[in-house]
Amino acid sequence: MEDNQNSAPGNVPATKLGGARKGIEPGLNASKRLQTELMQLMTSPAPGVSAFPSADGNLLAWRATIEGPDDTPYAGLTFKLSFEFPSNYPYAPPTVLFRTPIYHPNVDFSGRICLDILKDKWTAAYNIQTVLLSLQSLLGEPNNASPLNGEAAELWDKDPALFKTKVMDRHKDIEEDE
Amino acid sequence: MPTMVAAPWQNRRRRVFQSVFQIDLSQPTPQSTPCVRFPDQGQPFGGPATSAAALAAGAVSTLSGSQSTILAEPGPLSYSSQPLFPSLAAVGDDQVAYDRAWHVVTARIALPPSATADDSFGTLAADSQQHPASQQAPFSSDAEFFQALTLIVHAPTVLPRATHTDDIVAWHAQQVRAHFAQHVIPLLSGCVDDNGDESRHEAGNHYERHMVIVMSSIRTLEAALRLYFYGLGLLMRGFGRLVDGSGSEAAAAEAELLATRFRRDIHALVGNSASEELMKSVSIVLARLAGTILGIPSVDGAGVDPITSRRPAPPTDDDFRALAARQRLHEIVEQLHSVGLAGERFQVLFAEIMESIMSKFVTGAYVGVWAASSSSTRSVSAATNTISRMPNPSSSSPCILALSDWVENHFARLSVEILSRVSPDPSSSPVTLSDVKTYQSLALGRLAALRISELFDIALAWPSSQGALDDLRATITTTARRLQLTASFSRALQTRLLHPGCSTLEILRTYIAIIRTLHALDHSKVLLGHVESSLQLYLCQREDAVRIVVTGLLASPEELRLAKKVKEAAKRQHHEKALSGAFMTPAVSRGVSRASPSTTGRRRQDSTPNIAVQDVPDDQQVLSSSSSTLVELALILNDPSQARRNAGAAPDISGADDDLDWADMGWVPDPVDAGANYKRPRSEDVIGTLISALGSEDVFIKEFASVVAGRLLGEPARFDQEMRVLDLLKRRFGEAALQNCDVMIKDVQDSKMVDGAIIRAREAQVGGGAGRAVLSTPVAGGREAKGEGETEPEYHARILSRLFWPDLDREHFLLPPPIVDYQRWYELGYEHLKSKRKLTWLNQLGQARVELELEDRTVTVDCSTVEATTIYAFQGADDGSGKPVQRSVEELYNELQMDEDLIAEALSFWANKGVLKRISQGVYAVVETIDAGGAGGDGPEPGSSAGGGASNEPEVESPRKASGAAGSSAGTLSAKEQERRAMYWQYIRGMLTNSSASMPLAQVSMMMKMLVPDGFPWSGEELQEFLGSKVASGELEVIGGKYKLVKK
Repeated sequence: MEDNQNSAPGNVPATKLGGARKGIEPGLNASKRLQTELMQLMTSPAPGVSAFPSADGNLLAWRATIEGPDDTPYAGLTFKLSFEFPSNYPYAPPTVLFRTPIYHPNVDFSGRICLDILKDKWTAAYNIQTVLLSLQSLLGEPNNASPLNGEAAELWDKDPALFKTKVMDRHKDIEEDE
Repeated sequence: MPTMVAAPWQNRRRRVFQSVFQIDLSQPTPQSTPCVRFPDQGQPFGGPATSAAALAAGAVSTLSGSQSTILAEPGPLSYSSQPLFPSLAAVGDDQVAYDRAWHVVTARIALPPSATADDSFGTLAADSQQHPASQQAPFSSDAEFFQALTLIVHAPTVLPRATHTDDIVAWHAQQVRAHFAQHVIPLLSGCVDDNGDESRHEAGNHYERHMVIVMSSIRTLEAALRLYFYGLGLLMRGFGRLVDGSGSEAAAAEAELLATRFRRDIHALVGNSASEELMKSVSIVLARLAGTILGIPSVDGAGVDPITSRRPAPPTDDDFRALAARQRLHEIVEQLHSVGLAGERFQVLFAEIMESIMSKFVTGAYVGVWAASSSSTRSVSAATNTISRMPNPSSSSPCILALSDWVENHFARLSVEILSRVSPDPSSSPVTLSDVKTYQSLALGRLAALRISELFDIALAWPSSQGALDDLRATITTTARRLQLTASFSRALQTRLLHPGCSTLEILRTYIAIIRTLHALDHSKVLLGHVESSLQLYLCQREDAVRIVVTGLLASPEELRLAKKVKEAAKRQHHEKALSGAFMTPAVSRGVSRASPSTTGRRRQDSTPNIAVQDVPDDQQVLSSSSSTLVELALILNDPSQARRNAGAAPDISGADDDLDWADMGWVPDPVDAGANYKRPRSEDVIGTLISALGSEDVFIKEFASVVAGRLLGEPARFDQEMRVLDLLKRRFGEAALQNCDVMIKDVQDSKMVDGAIIRAREAQVGGGAGRAVLSTPVAGGREAKGEGETEPEYHARILSRLFWPDLDREHFLLPPPIVDYQRWYELGYEHLKSKRKLTWLNQLGQARVELELEDRTVTVDCSTVEATTIYAFQGADDGSGKPVQRSVEELYNELQMDEDLIAEALSFWANKGVLKRISQGVYAVVETIDAGGAGGDGPEPGSSAGGGASNEPEVESPRKASGAAGSSAGTLSAKEQERRAMYWQYIRGMLTNSSASMPLAQVSMMMKMLVPDGFPWSGEELQEFLGSKVASGELEVIGGKYKLVKK
């Protein structure tokens, strides 16, 4: 039978056939791509970051965790993030938010992030893992040239001790049991 | 309301009414009563006196108002009127003259005021028709009547001053209407009622009963109409005379017109007032007669013989029943027409009847009749070939031909006969040629609907249902019908196949039949594509589907041979059944092919004694074996026509576009309902379709490799079947995809040479205990054997290339020491032969021949190495105490380091062989003598080891592998499984880290099923067990029924 006969979206149970079909064409289907990414994350996890689809099983909404890198004010803290993927992912960047309150020059108080690769510099070559690793490194090396949080950008250079205090004040582990 | 009761009551009522008002309701000339009339200017009052006298006479006659009819009364009236005419004309009292004339005429044609019974009604009418003149001659002569009529008709000219004139024909119609409503309708309902009452007892002969109703109604109506038309006839005759006199053509035409209109009115009156019951009876009678004529067996037939009641068939020309029915029908229809019951209602009725007869005929005659067309002798493949060549066979199946013939020669003929009899315009044919075509297409549409509803069974019965497919192909001509077909077929699939009650094998088998059926039906595969998606989805849930397909492909030649035999037997039986004319239901035909194999075998033997008796058990065996393997696939794979087609398809793949084949005379356009990227498939390609339905080629090839691996490690020394299947699959999937299997086969072949070389080397330098060479590359697999001191056991190994074989689990256990020795020298021999390579033994994949010398017998068993090792352990445990050796599972576990489950399995294997017996939980003892074992069990039977050291002497001759790689035993985890578990653990950790900090089991399971590629095979219990182990190892905790990662 020709492939086109049954490849209509939703026609095929993603878990069953999706993996079995060889070669998942990136971009053809965001869910497929995300499933592949999940597989990669699970088989070769990067230290300090992890991500997983949200508990309701919606593949287009993920939750992620970043551990604050050592030698930064965020050492020892963990941050939760949410990813919302557009249906044309990976051709458009996901919307990424910090759910854990964070005091950081490039993150505003509602968790929005100013990071070029999540905006105009996004390419389909990025994936969840690279985004998480970029964010992790952003924690240690904020881009103070374009701050969302001006105070933090100032303090980062002027008063690291106060910065650290602010970070600790702001940080609060969120309990996310539904 | 019975007429008998009603009539006296009506009379009494009329009398009371008359006594008050002194006016007869049926007074023919109400407008000319004296009180409303004044003399015109200049007229003397004398005239009215006479007319009043005449009227008084009329009044007297009405007052006398007896039961006698007016027709009998007009005596005085006539006497007095006779001399009046001239004088009336003379005095110029036109109105009076007119009134008198009117009275004369109406009195003559007036209807009997009551008709209480059939008899009087009938005789009266008959009399009036036969001797109208003689009866009334004394009173009113025809001459007088016609004179009066002339006056009335020519009133405007003859009696210019008579202002109150009326239309005599309309008056008559009025009279008739009233009479019909008052007298005839009750009579008619009486016909229906009476018969209804009578026949309630004699249940059964409905048709007869309704025939009686119809006939008596017709008779009643005929009588009434005779009466009505008598009056009309008189009038017409009068008109005729007038015309003769005046010679006016126009007047004649007008009179004719009047008469026609009257007739039409009366017919409309009768037609519209016929009761529902009467029409029902008419329809039943018509249906019965038409059914007989068209060959529909009657349902209520107590006296109908059973053979003809089976199936509708067009009657032959000399079928007297049909002839009689036809004649009867003609008569009835003519009568109905003459009494006016053949109006619009009748025609609607008739159309309904014909419609239902057509449905009945199609369903009755063709349901389950799927016999192939005249070319049924063609082989199946030849048939499909032909079909794919001629996509639009206009010379269609026998069913269609017979049906068209039936419509044309019987159905349309009957329609013509009936409609022309009731048609108001006899000149034009009521049924045109295009109508016949329409009938035929209607019939074919019904046939299509029937076949669509049967399609699932047709598919099951393939290929014996070729004929039905021909029908379908010829009738499924519109997109709507195609849609109807796919929709109905999908529904049938859901309810009949895709449920847990069907085994995967059955589903696959049906699927194959469906592929072939729908391909034969529509070789563009678009139909197939529409229906199979649900099937494919469902098959994905059946985990054994791929395996069944693969084993089916690899079915051994014996299985094939047997399967073919079964098929032929089934076919033969099918034929016999067909010949005997028995009606084969789909269920029966299914039963023939699988459900009741033994009975079919037997029955066949009974009916055809010339079949060798020895065949029978053979066949039955086949049936049972074929029912466990999907041999159909192997048959297809071996079908030369398939192979040819595959070969033909090969260049296609390489790029030749068959759309460019200008010389292809069988080309047809793509079906209209094809998808956008539709690509014309070339052949029915059952295997290809099936494989693609099961997911991807990869999955299939993987499964194929693992099945082949099992077979290669198994018994047979030659692998012809595997090689052939492999070749065929290569053609389909390409060389590269099946490279592993090539290597596997080559490994096995090479092993023989290497094995020979090693053994020769060993023989050359017996006892050569060379130092152990430690070589790097591990090469997989081998075989072990064991032997006993003096007799040199044979020891052979198969050397497998690890990378190319499916994962073969390594099972650890300690081999008997002698075997270990053999292994060692074999290893050395191999390393000597192929430097830089090393053997890794897969001890559990072997086979051993074990010879056990017990006290009273010698047992030789071919068994697996695990079993051999286990029994060997009993030998070593002989303590010389003279008691039978006893070992417990625990001891063996310590000694052999073998998995406990395997030990238990092996022990029960030997217990089944009667070598061991179970003493207590997990403890087994050797049965040295059968008696002891059979008798008591607990009696410490002596002599056991008394037999000395020779008690158990396993002698291994040819070690080989037994169980297929895939059938790995439970209990232990392969490296692959470990890897999988690690991956699952990653998923679960990721889930509990990110998605939600704590989750209940069901949610974890749901997420895993959704997210793990290739599916998550664990059940809830397995997952729970796994999570439980993580809880035990402190990585998880359970809080309130939810799993949670332990915070570090």
